[in-house]
Amino acid sequence: MPKRKLDPLPWAAFQILLALADEDRHGYGIMRQVEQQTDRRLRLGPGTLYGSIRTLLDEKLIVEVEPRGEAKAGEERRRYYRLTAAGRKLARAEAERLADLLRVARSKKILRGDYV
Amino acid sequence: MSEKIYAWLLRLYPSRFREEYGEAALELFRDRASAEREFFARVRLWLDLLRDLAVSLPREYGRGQPAFAATPANIRPSFYFAENGSPHAGALLTGALLSLIPVFALAIPFGQYRVPHLSFAPVRRPLYVRRSPLAGPAHKMPRRVNHPDGFQILPAVMLNVPQEPAEVPKLDAAERRRVVQTAVSDLKQHYVSPAVARKIADALTAHEKAGDYDGVTDGASFADLLTRQLQDVSRDLHLDVAYVSGGIPDRPIGPRPESTARYRQALEQENCTFEKVAILARNIGYLKINSFPDVAFCRQTATEAMTKLNGADATIFDLRDNRGGYREMVSLIAAYLFDHPEYLYSPRDLVTEESWTRSPVAGSRLADKPAYVLTSGRTASAAEQFSYDLKMLRRAIIVGETTRGATHSGVFYRIDEHFGIGIPEVKAINPYSQSDWAVVGVDPDVKVPAAEALDRAVQLAEGRLRK
Repeated sequence: MPKRKLDPLPWAAFQILLALADEDRHGYGIMRQVEQQTDRRLRLGPGTLYGSIRTLLDEKLIVEVEPRGEAKAGEERRRYYRLTAAGRKLARAEAERLADLLRVARSKKILRGDYV
Repeated sequence: MSEKIYAWLLRLYPSRFREEYGEAALELFRDRASAEREFFARVRLWLDLLRDLAVSLPREYGRGQPAFAATPANIRPSFYFAENGSPHAGALLTGALLSLIPVFALAIPFGQYRVPHLSFAPVRRPLYVRRSPLAGPAHKMPRRVNHPDGFQILPAVMLNVPQEPAEVPKLDAAERRRVVQTAVSDLKQHYVSPAVARKIADALTAHEKAGDYDGVTDGASFADLLTRQLQDVSRDLHLDVAYVSGGIPDRPIGPRPESTARYRQALEQENCTFEKVAILARNIGYLKINSFPDVAFCRQTATEAMTKLNGADATIFDLRDNRGGYREMVSLIAAYLFDHPEYLYSPRDLVTEESWTRSPVAGSRLADKPAYVLTSGRTASAAEQFSYDLKMLRRAIIVGETTRGATHSGVFYRIDEHFGIGIPEVKAINPYSQSDWAVVGVDPDVKVPAAEALDRAVQLAEGRLRK
């Protein structure tokens, strides 16, 4: 069995999966969503973004979809991406792994507060 | 602009990535660029992009072809194409040019390749070789040895120097050393200013010690290098080192009877370079003369021309294509313009009886008539003497461009079989100013482009005659 490219899941790929969790987005939309959900700490550049998207597509974690009905003129040719079931599952698994880590960190008194 | 830069940067990615996502990446850039217009936002954008390039480029290339990773070691080598499809014409051209660079980089130090220099030697009259220090490599020929009074224009046919030998010997360290040392001792002995000669000697010795001459195996290049260094130190464009591939005879080169005859024949064919003698409208005399030829051959032509102009009310001397010649001819023509012997200054010649014009010339009616001299950037040497002296004596109005700034180079010393050095030995005292026309040329009284000089001079003469 070939080694999986996304094991461990890269940070950028995980953020993209999360960004697509609530709705389909195009490249720029993903970039803005990632920026927002990381509190402006992560702005994906084109190379990283599309490199990750390609990998996620290869692994069938996301799929390309037709633009949404309400797309404005000029946006037709934009490619939209949607999370697949496998992608959602992987994102959840990754989140749980991080949650485990958090619990350990909290028990070791490394992290305080009411996080997960 | 910035979009173009980014589009160019995108070309760094593997072609597969570009084909699939190049347009999308560019669009993302456009979106961000239009949203982040403020200065700091722009800076942040570019920092993001550069960081993105640094991170994602290696990954995209590392992704490579799955086949690479799968190739097991220790079996016979196999080959894969990194790019699908054949390269386009631009890529082939770039590759060809890049592969030429190392070839030239290697060939030049080994002296196998020399950049061909363009020859600016006159095509119509190949018989005249200007001995100007400003002349290019095409004019590298020895001057006549110990010829104290001639200006630049020496007929090549009189030199009899064998040119273009079968093979050009390479310079070695010993010869370079010998050339430098002999040049230095010649300079100390003969150069007009001993102080400058010492400075030059120090500079050349320093260059030699610093190893600046190591690896110069081409005679002509070495001569050019030395010439440049001599002139850098002395600011004297008349100092120059010449390289003659055919060899310099070790006795003075004198004209042989048959070559003298050829020179004479050439002058006859060209009417002694007196191109045009005419009387223009309003009785203005016009003489276009393209050199000041040897009086020994051309006295009669010159006398006839001046006689033809004798009845004119004003005279225009057109020296725009005059590259120089003999001071005797300068003196002979200028003599018509004075009613008493006049001293004609020449920076590189000793003051002798010949320095005064033989004025008045019997029957000349030009001595009190206005005179104009047309000049161009090509006007050189003896023609500059003619212009300079008539200007300084306020005997003529110079119309046109600043002249070339050439005087003759003095005496030619043989260093060895191939090298020689031209050294100005004499500097006559200038009665008019500290400097002569060397290097800087003669400034016209009326500055107009050479092509318009004749019209302007005619205009000036007409205005003057109307009064």
